[in-house]
Amino acid sequence: MTDETTQPRVRVDGIGRRYDTPQGGVQALQDVTFDVAAGEFVCIVGPSGSGKTTLFRIIAGLEPATAGTVYLAGDPVEGPGPELGLVFQEYHLFPWRTVSGNVGFGLEKQGVDSERRQQRVRELLELVGLDGFADSYPRDLSGGMKQRVALARALAMDPDLLLMDEPFGAVDAQTKRMLQDELLEIWSETEKTILFVTHDVEEAVKLADRVIVMGTEPGHIREVVNVDMDRPRSRSDAAFGDYYERILDLIQS
Amino acid sequence: MAVEVGDDSEYADGVDSPMFDIDTQRALRGSAGILGFLVLWWLVALTQPSYILPTPAAVAETFVAEAASGDMAVALLSSIIHWLPGAVVGTGLGVAAGIALGWSPYLDDISAPVVRLLRPVPPLALIGFAIAWLGINHAGAAFIIAIGAFWINFYGAYGGVEGVSDDLLDVARSLGVQGDVELIRSVVIPASLPEIMTGIRTGIGRCWMLVVASEIFGVAGIGREILRASNNLRVDVVITYILVLSAMFLLVDTAFRAVQRRALAWR
Repeated sequence: MTDETTQPRVRVDGIGRRYDTPQGGVQALQDVTFDVAAGEFVCIVGPSGSGKTTLFRIIAGLEPATAGTVYLAGDPVEGPGPELGLVFQEYHLFPWRTVSGNVGFGLEKQGVDSERRQQRVRELLELVGLDGFADSYPRDLSGGMKQRVALARALAMDPDLLLMDEPFGAVDAQTKRMLQDELLEIWSETEKTILFVTHDVEEAVKLADRVIVMGTEPGHIREVVNVDMDRPRSRSDAAFGDYYERILDLIQS
Repeated sequence: MAVEVGDDSEYADGVDSPMFDIDTQRALRGSAGILGFLVLWWLVALTQPSYILPTPAAVAETFVAEAASGDMAVALLSSIIHWLPGAVVGTGLGVAAGIALGWSPYLDDISAPVVRLLRPVPPLALIGFAIAWLGINHAGAAFIIAIGAFWINFYGAYGGVEGVSDDLLDVARSLGVQGDVELIRSVVIPASLPEIMTGIRTGIGRCWMLVVASEIFGVAGIGREILRASNNLRVDVVITYILVLSAMFLLVDTAFRAVQRRALAWR
């Protein structure tokens, strides 16, 4: 039996994905294997066509793999569920629900009683800096605010893993930087395990403990880079620049 | 139209009054349109005998007489007795079937050929069934009305459910929603509510039109009055009951629009 404390939070084991088309098969992912330790922040970067989003969907249980298995806390992932918190680039908020209705959605479905739910929603809105917007509808929020709601909604279920697919890809540069800082704060506060897909190398270096660099044809892991820098990290640091260049080279070569 | 709002007049002028002016303008134009229509009607009516087109005044007189005699209330009540269950049952079944078939490709595959076969059948063509199965009574008339409501609501709900984003369903699943019934309840219905409500609203209007058709075989009501008056060349009575029909439609439609606006406040 594996020891609880040494067991990785996520084990991605030999994942492959093949799409069969009338023109023949396309191998989108091949033999993708890596572990994520509890509390670790891992970024996946890669050029388009490297299967990042396919990998995200497989880990999330939204799409089946044609080879390999994803384990979450030792158990194979068989579909989307509350042990996995998903955050998408396009937010995907429920437009008919208020901010607090979105954040409380999962708790409601789990049958958490209204008083405890409201308490938890309040805490989460405070955590993401949206107290005061509890009764707003998504249509009244900016992109950055919507993504905060989506993050709070995912955190509400207290998931084992927070899985994020280019979550800051649709907001402007300034908001993006702000959200990155906030995410790091929330990460250290909640001690969540985060797997974060991005095509932005700078973002990956700024956020991750480890960066998994993907290559194309078929999508595979080219290299895993440990980012050995204290936080907060500054772009003007020489080490930051070195990591940035190194990862960019890996992607472009 | 300046409205004095005390010290807040700046706010009232800047924000409120332009809206107010636009609404007033709209109302004025609308009134002018009605007036123009009445004048035109009157002018044409003056050149025609009253069995071709009575004047607005003659219609008004008939209207008052029908209302005063109690005939109008009796006819209206009778129509409502089959309109209401017809509309409610047809809407309910239409929405339910639309959601089920829009959601399940399996059910959709099974029913698609039958649906396409039945869809073009006009409710009036089913009068034979209404009489044979239910009789010349309210139930028979309600059946005709329900058929009309059914299809509009079926396609409204079906289209709405088809348009629900898979991503929202994925999110709901990742938040612990399991099973078709729960997904339909917590995501599919709220997400397709705009289309469903448009269907219901269109259906309600259609049902008032079908009131006339549903009474063609002898069930009492507004439609019956219109048909009988037509046979007697009493155009003034025909117009009177058309006005009742329009008024009922307007009343129900306005009420439903208020419900719709409330339910879809999030848009």
